[in-house]
This record gives sequence, structure tokens and C-alpha cells, in this order.
Amino acid sequence: MTRRVTVGPFNRVEGDLEVRLDIDDGVVSSAEVTAPLYRGFEQILRGRPAMDALTLAPRICGICSVSQSLAAVAALRAVDGLRAADNGVLAANLAHAAENVADHLTHFYLFFMPDFARDVYSGRPWHGDVAARFKAVQGSAAQAMLPARARLLQIMGLLAGKWPHSLAFQPGGTTRAIDLGERVQLLSIIGDVRDFLERSVFADSLDNVLALDSAAALATWRDGRGGDFARFLGVADDLALDRLGRIALPLMSYGAYHGLDAPLFARGVYDPVTAGVAALDPDDISEDVAHAWMRDTALRPAEADTDPDADKPAGYSWCKAPRLAGRPVEVGALARQAVDGNPLVRDLVARSGPNVANRVIARLLETAKVVVAMHDWARRLDLRAPFLDRAARRGAGAGIGLIEAARGSLGHWIELGDDRIRRYQIIAPTTWNFSPRDRDGVAGPLEQALAGTEVGDEGARSVAVQHVVRSFDPCMVCTAH
Amino acid sequence: MGAATETFYEVIRRQGITRRSFIKFCSLTATSLGLGPIGTSQIAQALETKPRVPVIWMHGLECTCCSESFIRSAHPLVKDAILSMISLDYDDTIMAAAGHQAEAILQETRQKYKGQYILAVEGNPPLNEDGMFCIDGGRPFVEKLKEMADDSMAVIAWGACASWGCVQAAKPNPTQATPIDKVIKNKPIIKVPGCPPIAEVMTGVVTFVTTFGRLPELDRQGRPKMFYSQRIHDKCYRRPHFDAGQFVEEWDDDAARKGFCLYKMGCKGPTTYNACSTVRWNGGVSFPIQSGHGCIGCSEDGFWDQGPFYERLTNINQFGVEANADKIGATAAGVVGAAIAAHAAVTTVRNLSRRKEVPNGNGGSNGKSNGTTNGTSA
Repeated sequence: MTRRVTVGPFNRVEGDLEVRLDIDDGVVSSAEVTAPLYRGFEQILRGRPAMDALTLAPRICGICSVSQSLAAVAALRAVDGLRAADNGVLAANLAHAAENVADHLTHFYLFFMPDFARDVYSGRPWHGDVAARFKAVQGSAAQAMLPARARLLQIMGLLAGKWPHSLAFQPGGTTRAIDLGERVQLLSIIGDVRDFLERSVFADSLDNVLALDSAAALATWRDGRGGDFARFLGVADDLALDRLGRIALPLMSYGAYHGLDAPLFARGVYDPVTAGVAALDPDDISEDVAHAWMRDTALRPAEADTDPDADKPAGYSWCKAPRLAGRPVEVGALARQAVDGNPLVRDLVARSGPNVANRVIARLLETAKVVVAMHDWARRLDLRAPFLDRAARRGAGAGIGLIEAARGSLGHWIELGDDRIRRYQIIAPTTWNFSPRDRDGVAGPLEQALAGTEVGDEGARSVAVQHVVRSFDPCMVCTAH
Repeated sequence: MGAATETFYEVIRRQGITRRSFIKFCSLTATSLGLGPIGTSQIAQALETKPRVPVIWMHGLECTCCSESFIRSAHPLVKDAILSMISLDYDDTIMAAAGHQAEAILQETRQKYKGQYILAVEGNPPLNEDGMFCIDGGRPFVEKLKEMADDSMAVIAWGACASWGCVQAAKPNPTQATPIDKVIKNKPIIKVPGCPPIAEVMTGVVTFVTTFGRLPELDRQGRPKMFYSQRIHDKCYRRPHFDAGQFVEEWDDDAARKGFCLYKMGCKGPTTYNACSTVRWNGGVSFPIQSGHGCIGCSEDGFWDQGPFYERLTNINQFGVEANADKIGATAAGVVGAAIAAHAAVTTVRNLSRRKEVPNGNGGSNGKSNGTTNGTSA
């Protein structure tokens, strides 16, 4: 017998979320994901001066505001055919990396791990240790992580003034030229964060962590090791989190941290079934509104509008359904690392596919990789050279800004005329991951990942559902914006 | 959940915080609130003897930037202490419970501390389509908000969203996002605007309210005077350059590297009241003007529709620190605009040509322009 339950509101996710589950004999047979929050940024941006996108668009999200800024910057830059000053690219990378690392740590310590401190796991051998470490608000881990995170975000102070909703990012680069003393401060902050990762998260040097190249190497490495990463791996093994939330959709990445030569993480699409990488064509991206509370306009974001229709009978979410060549795709750290060819992540995906455990592992590995890159970027800043290129703007035409936020692929599609915004469309990472069904009835990634989850008699209280949802690190305020 | 009679001191001692740290916390808080040395013992005594004031933190239509700012407060103990105060009760983003369990805790807290708790609201309710743009627990957020406000002692409006409406209320305000004082009429509301507010301002306000069980002194817009009585412009470290007529003309130009005034780049510091230029951001490291970008006035009502953000203000008094928000509001924009335009021309003329003094130009300078040339137009 099928019974339908509603899970939500969720907490320890950014913004509001509701999930409806059909349960047959204690197993989820079908899921519907609802983004219940909509503000209308695309409608608000229309008609405004082009550059005002730089102050309004970041306010879509207080968690990933630098990502939103940089997507707007990239789109405006594309319209105007500009190139950013080298220092501006590096400084933007540093600020963006600081935000993304902060997000990954917040997700792991404050949002994801506290679920394992719940009483439902009190019979497990690791429960006492994990509860003492991760219990929401009271656990010892947050006491160590929050100061490290605050320290990390002082980088925003040096490079971008304030955070969230920083203002220093412009199409030509950044407005803040730092001096020698400030670079020393930057390096010192990055050093402190590295220290936190090496002591608390990995209990090993980042070099050793980044040398891990297979699931077997990871298993050997973690044996008997302390640190929160190994703590999680123990829990993941015991609860078989690699069998939870498993899907086989393509993994997509727009490419992250566009460096002076190549991006730090490559752009492309990785197919977990064939283990092949394909090139990404932005023209293949469309948004379907068959089950969104939105009017039908056009499929391609460059031609579409966002026009709410709260009474649409088939609608069940404010979120549109983005598709790549007609298919849903999964985005996020796991996708980025798989596309980029990280051998450990590729091996894990080959063994068990995209799943709860692998999403969390990829996020922490990426954190290590990015902090090492940050050190390099800070050293490469040429303090006598400009941070911002002041070439004239055209203020007319269309452009796309594609970047990677912590949670995955973020795109801004913009059209300008007379230096005013004629059209603005945004597809955020969680729009991809938490998409509703499309006109063909194909479910979005989370909807697919929830199907098959064993909930037993727990129903809406099932902690497994919480693990699957949080493994994507949803950002609901970005999702429907 | 603690008993109603438990004091704050008992709560934090139970969490393993030492008495020494507690006193340090009290003294830091007293300083940040401007209470002076006696304030330390006042706060300590209140926290040791009075029952803890519970805080319930709710999220409406928002971007969570206020929470993000809050959890980065500079002094770890401040944040920890206050987090333990709050989390004992209810917060959407960081609490342990989920779903119906969380709703149950919310209702339990509401019953148990009826008339005693502080309701802290991040975000605002959208009223279009019967509140359909922000559904929380299966019903419009506005209903839950009113219900929780009814039984509260007082309400804190976090950020520009709850205080004024913020970007989601920007024209055409598709969802009719509405500041909370338009829907809560029966409770005192303290507005803590900013997008987001500064972490130390937030912790300062929470500490004051929970310590003394009353609201701090508010200005006529409902903001705490201790943090919102200063104009960014008046405490800005770049102010001498404004007075000397030294301006950044383009991003990252020579003047920018020298730290000149950003007024011509659209800085809204002259019309913005907030503590950014004194308390600063990210642990006191910096603030937007220090990053080389002007202030956009994110703590002021209606800032979102005051664009273009990169054009200079034309409605301020140019010299003197004596102007206040009321005066600025009352001054005819056209008249003052001419004075500002002239002042900008002054600097251009002086910087470029160093011409000799031409007496009695048409600028509105009030004797502080050090005898420099006044331009004729801008």
C-alpha cells in the first residue's frame, strides 16, 4: 500500500524546502521536491542599469554571494568583450575560494554531520564519539570550526571589504589593490586554515591527502587515523552511505577558478556509467516549466523569461527544471572532481556511483585542493600591476557567465541594450539538483536519489531521507531566486 | 531545554565556559554597547540573577545573509554564548531537530515562555498570492510570523529585509515582500538594518535585549541609537580626502591606490547611517569603502531602488559634519546638487590646471575649501 508523507520544513539547509514521498512497504517509491520560496530577481533586474546587477544579483544568496557576484561579472564581461586584469582574476579566485571552502566546512560541520548525533543511532559503536563531536550547537567540532571559518573569511575583508554581499568584483577585475603587508596577512590566514584542515579535518598533511589516488589507498590511509574525515568514513562504512542516494545521472561542471591559463578544475560532463568525459556546450542547456509554478516562455535561458503562475495546476515547485541536452544532470563538488579527473573520486564513482558518501568525500577532498591553490594564487599576485582593467564597455548584446559555486554549476544569462538589462536569467546549482519533473515526467536528481530509500516505519521522520537531501548541500534561496 | 528560572550564567557554566571568560564577555559587551566600566558589573549581575530570556529566530523571504554574518562574530565567546542562548530554543538554520519535531519545539517554546521570549526575524513575508511565495510548514510564513509575534515580548527585525523590505521588495516587488512592522502592529520592534547587519551589531543587540530584558534606546526609525546614530561619511577614514577634494575617478586608478574619496564612484556614505566605518567587517578587518568600492547604503530604507549605484549622489550637503538625516531629507536636492557638482569641478580644476584663485565662484563651499578655485560647472 502506498502512503504519501510530507517531509519539511527542513532545517540545517539554506532556505525552505519540502519533500513529498510516496512510500511502499517502507521504501520510497517516488519523491516530489518543492522549493517553496520565490522572490523574483529576474523580474526585478529587468530594466535596471546594467552595472546595478553587481549590487542586486549577489543578494540572491547570503551564503554564496561571491559566486552570484562572479557569475554576474562574467556575464557582463562576456557582453562587453572585456578581459579582467591578471591580479583581478587571482584576487577574485581567492575570495571565491574562501567562500567555497567556508561553505564546504559549514556543510560538513553544521549541517550534515549533526544528523549522526541523533538518538536513533545510539546503539552504534561510534555514536558517543560522534555525538560529542557533532551534536548540533553543543558539539566540540563547531567550537573549533567556527573560529577557523571566521578567520578564513577575513580574506573577504582584505580583498572584498565585507561579506556576504561584497562589492569589489567588477568586469575588469577587483577594486581592491592590496599591498605587501596585506599579502602577508593573506598568506598567514591561508596558513591558519591549512593548519585547521591538517589538525582537525584530516589529521594528516594536505600533501598526503591529495596523494590518495584510489579507494584502496583511502582505505589504507584512514585505518586507525583520527580527524573528522576519518570519523565520517567510519560512519559511512557502518551505515553503508555509499548505497544511499545513489543515482547515475551525468555529472556536470562549468569549470572552476578560471586561472591565468587554464581553470583549476576543468569544464565538461562526466558520465558515471561509461566513465567518459564529454565537452559541454552551453547551447544544450534548457529550462522546462511543466511542473513549475511558471508560465511557459522559451526553453533556452537566453530567450526565456521568469513569469510566475501561482495557480498552475501541474506545478509543485517554484524551481524550474533545467536540462542538459534534455537530461537532468547532477552538479556539485563530486561532479567537479569527477570531470576534472581526480583519480580517487573517479575510482569511488566507478565503484559505487554518485551517492551520499562520495558527495561528502569529494567536498572535503576539494577543500584540501583549493586551499593549496589559494596559497599559490596569493603568491602570484603582482602587487605593482593593476587589479582592474578599465577598457570601455559596450553595454549592448548578450552574454553568459558560467561559474562553479560551492554547490555546483551557476549560470547567469544576460541581455543588455542601451546599457540597461533587457533580460536576466539565472540557473543555480540547486536548481539543477532539486529540479522538479519535466514535461516527459523525468524526475530531477534529488527526486531520483530519494527513490529506493528505505525508511521503514519512520516515514517522514526517517533520518536516511535527511542524509540524502543534505548530501547535495542544498541552497534553497538560490534555487528559485 | 532549560527551565524558565535558569539564568544565563548557569547556562553557560553548564557549557563549560569559565567564570573568567564570562567576565571578559561582560566587559567586552559593555564596551561594545558603550556602557563603560560600570556596565560590566551591570551585565554580569543581570546575567547571574535574572532568568534567561529565550530567543526564537525565524526565517521568511530572505537569503540567510544575516545568519551568516551573525555566526562570524569576532569574539568567539560572544558568539558561542549567544548561540547557546538562542539554540536552546529555536532556529531554522542551525538547530538539531527537523521537520515536525522542530515545529513541535517551536510551539512548546511559545507556550512555555508566553510573553517572555524575543522573536528574532530574518527576512520578511510576501503578501501577494495569499502568501504563496513563502510557504513554511505548509502555510504562509506571514501567518506563522503573526502567531509567534503575538506571544512574544518584543521583536527584532534582522537586516534590511525585515526592517525595510530589501531587494525582493525592489520594483516591481513581484511578491509584495513587506517589512515586518507592516504586519506586526502589537509589539515593540527593534530594527537592525543592513544587508546584512554587522555581526558585532547583531550580537550587541541580542546581548542587550536578553541581558536587560528591554529594548535599547531607539531612534525615530526604530533603530538602536548606539549603532545607527553615526553617518558612514563622518567616521570614514577617507573623509579627509573628501574635504580636500581628492577623489577616485576610475577603479584602481592612482587616486584609488592612494585611498582617495569614492564619492564620485557613487559612494552612498554621505547618506547612510551605520557602524561600518567604526566597527567594520569580518572581525574588524575592513568594510566596503576600505575595499575600494563605495558604500551602497544597504542599511537605509529603499536603497535597492536608489540606483544607478555607480553614479554620484546629488542630494547631500558637501561639507561639514553637522548635517543629519533629517536635514538631508529636507534639503532640496536640486540646490545642493549644484553645490556638489561645483565641488567636484573644484577638484578637477585644481588637480589639472592649478590655476590661480578666482574669487567668489558659484560653489556652495562654506569656507573649508582652503581657498582653492571654484569651477563654474560640472
